[in-house]
Amino acid sequence: MKEKISQIVERTMAKIEKLDSAKELNDLKVEVLGKSGELTLILRSLKSVSADERPVVGKIVNDARVELETAFTDKLARLEQIELNERLMKEKIDISIDRKRPIGKVHPLNDIKRKAIDFFVCMGFIVTDSPEIETTYYNFDMLNIPPDHPAREPQDTFFVTDNIILRTQTSAGQIRTMEKIKPPIKMISPGRVFRSDEADATHTPCFHQMEGLVVDKGITMCDLKGTLSSFAKHFFAEDTRIRFRPSHFPFTEPSVEVDVSCVHCGGKGCNVCKGTGWIEILGAGMVNRKVLLGCDIDPDIYTGFAFGVGLDRITAIIHGINDARVPFEGDIRFLKQF
Amino acid sequence: MKLPISWLKEYIDLDVGVEDVCNALTNIGFEVENIIEYGNDISGVYVGKIVDISEHPDADKLKICFVNVGSENLTIVTGADNVNIGDLVPVAKDGAVLPNGKVITTSLFRGVMSYGMLCSGSELNISEAFVDGASVDGILILDEELRIGENIVSALKLKDTVLDISITANRPDCHSIVGLAREIATALNAKFIEPPIRFRLYDSDLKMPSVEVKTTECPVYSRSLISEIRIGKSPKWMQRRLFMSDINPINNVVDITNYVLLEIGQPLHAFDYKMIKGGIVVRSASKGETIMALNGEDYTLSQDMTLICDKEKPLAIAGVMGGKFSGITDKTKTVFLESARFNRGNVRNTSLKLGLRSDSSRKFERGVDYYSVEFGRKRALYLFELLSVGKVVCDCPVNMPENKVIETSTDKINGLLGITVPKKNIVAILNTLGMEVEVDGKKLSVKIPSYREDIDNFTDLAEEVIRFYGYDKMKETFLPTSSVTVGGLSDKQKKIEEIKDLLCSFGAYEIMTYSFTDENVFDKLALPATDKRRSAIKIRNPISEDLSVMKTELVSGMLSVISTNLTRKNDNFRLFELAKVYEAEFPMTELPDEKDVLCVGLVGNKEDFYEIKNIFTGVMDHFKSNYEIVRSGEPYLHPGMSADLRLDGKTIASFGKLHPSVSKNFGIKKSDVYVGYLRCENIVDEKQKVVKYKPLPKFPPVERDLALVVNEDVTVGNLIGAIRSADALIGDVELFDIYRGEQIEKGYKSIALKIKLVPTERTLIDAEIAVIIEKVLYKVKCEFDAKVRE
Repeated sequence: MKEKISQIVERTMAKIEKLDSAKELNDLKVEVLGKSGELTLILRSLKSVSADERPVVGKIVNDARVELETAFTDKLARLEQIELNERLMKEKIDISIDRKRPIGKVHPLNDIKRKAIDFFVCMGFIVTDSPEIETTYYNFDMLNIPPDHPAREPQDTFFVTDNIILRTQTSAGQIRTMEKIKPPIKMISPGRVFRSDEADATHTPCFHQMEGLVVDKGITMCDLKGTLSSFAKHFFAEDTRIRFRPSHFPFTEPSVEVDVSCVHCGGKGCNVCKGTGWIEILGAGMVNRKVLLGCDIDPDIYTGFAFGVGLDRITAIIHGINDARVPFEGDIRFLKQF
Repeated sequence: MKLPISWLKEYIDLDVGVEDVCNALTNIGFEVENIIEYGNDISGVYVGKIVDISEHPDADKLKICFVNVGSENLTIVTGADNVNIGDLVPVAKDGAVLPNGKVITTSLFRGVMSYGMLCSGSELNISEAFVDGASVDGILILDEELRIGENIVSALKLKDTVLDISITANRPDCHSIVGLAREIATALNAKFIEPPIRFRLYDSDLKMPSVEVKTTECPVYSRSLISEIRIGKSPKWMQRRLFMSDINPINNVVDITNYVLLEIGQPLHAFDYKMIKGGIVVRSASKGETIMALNGEDYTLSQDMTLICDKEKPLAIAGVMGGKFSGITDKTKTVFLESARFNRGNVRNTSLKLGLRSDSSRKFERGVDYYSVEFGRKRALYLFELLSVGKVVCDCPVNMPENKVIETSTDKINGLLGITVPKKNIVAILNTLGMEVEVDGKKLSVKIPSYREDIDNFTDLAEEVIRFYGYDKMKETFLPTSSVTVGGLSDKQKKIEEIKDLLCSFGAYEIMTYSFTDENVFDKLALPATDKRRSAIKIRNPISEDLSVMKTELVSGMLSVISTNLTRKNDNFRLFELAKVYEAEFPMTELPDEKDVLCVGLVGNKEDFYEIKNIFTGVMDHFKSNYEIVRSGEPYLHPGMSADLRLDGKTIASFGKLHPSVSKNFGIKKSDVYVGYLRCENIVDEKQKVVKYKPLPKFPPVERDLALVVNEDVTVGNLIGAIRSADALIGDVELFDIYRGEQIEKGYKSIALKIKLVPTERTLIDAEIAVIIEKVLYKVKCEFDAKVRE
């Protein structure tokens, strides 16, 4: 009997191995393990076995049954897997087709502005807004630009009334901030400014600046250099260097123009930096004592620095935009490039 | 400011190269905008002497010249008829290059070999200021003193380099050769040499006219008399320098005044003494007073202008231009020389109003100091004597104001800079700049020369020190002394950025347009005459009419951008702009309101009203704002496909399909254009609401579909609103179909809805569901006469 059982197992296992459809496999299972299957019949015939042998033979039959059932289940699972794979392969589609739902984008200038804001906000700077239509008091007088100063001439400034103008610089925001908040002050003020320039490749009558101001005890010009250097590294590249050149702004003393090592050639000299290796990006300086005094801040206790960056200019430098008018045209082909 | 290097070298005790000067200027804050080279465009041209001339055998108009050029004799054919034996002429030898790029080669002229060319002044691009006769039509006949065979460039002193330098507004003193020389000397550690000013004063019976200054616009007026004037040409060295500084030489008297203007920075005016009747009066012009200026034009003056007059008549417009009839002529015997200071605002105003600018007015506008008034006049008198133009017989110096003294310390200067500049460097730098420094320990007492009116306090001194000590020596520190501050964007600023991001998620790209526009856009938008948006702020001095008013709405700008895109064959796009509109009360006494407005434009055949509506309601939903949608009356929108969005009864947004006639006004030919705006203030100024959590429903929701037949007038929104309010357990109600046609009576439509019931306490049984649906049906029956579709 033992032999017979092992023969059945051997034969059935061989058949299982060969079969490759679920139906045949099922038929075979019925044939062997079904109600009147071979192995079932043997089990039934156990009655005829002596009581001593019964447990031994019974175990053999049962083991055979478990072995076969496992084999059937495994094979079936394998077959199902194959069938599923075949079906999925039939559902194959052309993945090269696009069905785009466009995700828009903020204007490249605003992207740059956000990046600049991020840096200074992390440094503890607040972000202030200040009117675009401004009084000559804030735009000029308080910034130490007296009425007979050439910067006030109508060929540069858009006038609305005698003393209301379109602001020519975000520096007016410094005054408004210092009138409201007293030191310690760390602020930036990005915004739109206006100059009476005909639009050409390098000018537009509207453009954007970001003003920065720090006023506290013991602020030095080295702090200005350190702050702007970190900004330049964050903004352009880790190995960017900055350089100060003396300049003049009525509201800072000393005043400097700040150059960064050329972002395109790294300082070797190229057509972007006109061979100098440096690109001028901003004006800065130590806040003029007269400006602090005007805002009721004691210049003998507090010092500070201020800077103004041309956002359109650095956007143009970074992206290589060679015509200042294009960003204002709103051509979708331009906007989608960024 | 033009700086000829040869002129500069006269006042610096150092042989400097052009590159050194340029670098020094950049380092101390003067930008070299251009480098102009003189004389380097000529090569191979030498001084030659014509030793013989013979006729050309085959051409009447040509001559054969035999020219000695030092090392050799050349045969040269020329067509000019102004040459004679013995003349010295410029000879371009074989291989010579002329300023126009022409290369001279040996060539045949009608059978005679010519080994070069005799040159005219214009062929050498030489001005009369460099060589007399340069403008003559014919060969340039040279001074017979010149050495035969010498290169023409050195013989005529043609070579020079001129730097064109941009000077910052705070340094009027550097609009002069000496001002720049002083700076460059300091930068290069060289000695600055002051120009000589000593002159002899001759006795004379001539009486110096009295001067009466009746205006505050002339703080100082000094004068001299020079007699026995011999009008003539000034020497070439002076003419050359004037020429290289863009001033035309005129005669020796005028040239001296211009020379001093360039060299010392002091505008001078020379009057013919004979024309001054009685004495000088400096006063404001009377209204309507007229004067004929040197340029021959008549000018009518106003009371805010300053005049130099004698007892009878105006002689000159102060600081701007002299009068025609008091100027220097060939017959002038005695010169009355004026060296004065006029306030810059006054000169600018006069010059601007009259539309009359001169080298003098430009300098006064920048600023003239007491030092240059005095020094410049003396320098001129020195030159009168040096050039033997006349004899100085009278000089009235003025009292110089006391020099300003700044008390400060090395600590203060270094404290501002952040580095320690050694005391000896500080003192040395200030000294070379002409400042006297008294040192007492760390204390410094600095006497400021009167040509440095820009220096006001120790921060100005700190700038002088670091400018010359070098910004490259400055360290980079990161606010070690500053307090900790909390930074960040305000809630409002964050929400503005949030709106932009939301629009991006709707697939829209951000545009940026100018803040000003054309007044005619309001007509193009068909805004009624009473519309508030028509009262826009006007710019007094716009660039052009199309950029002359500040925007009161953004839709017109969006439509222009859409139009531009469509013209360029760009199609299917979504745009947005978030910018300011400017709203003022007139007459404007206060600053206008600047409001943040969002504007959206959709273009393409996949767009429809519901797409643009979804964007605006999406923004409102994002900020959890309650709103109401009603039909819009915006004149530029399609009346049947547009809506207003209301918050607390106030319209804050309008959107919809563009009205076809407005479309036409903006040159838009496409019909699938949707625009709208949203005033952001109501959202961004609102305090952020804190959302309170509602526990999620524990029991499964039940869905029921209903198709209701209603009159065409009934809106889906109203129907859904009514259903939602029919029972507390009704959650979302969703439209899934609208049907018109067979089986539905004309004038009616069938609206199919999916209603979700959300039980709160236990799972609903069929009977309860039936009751709720009954309530819904009853409600819509009562309100809209709606029937269930059979």
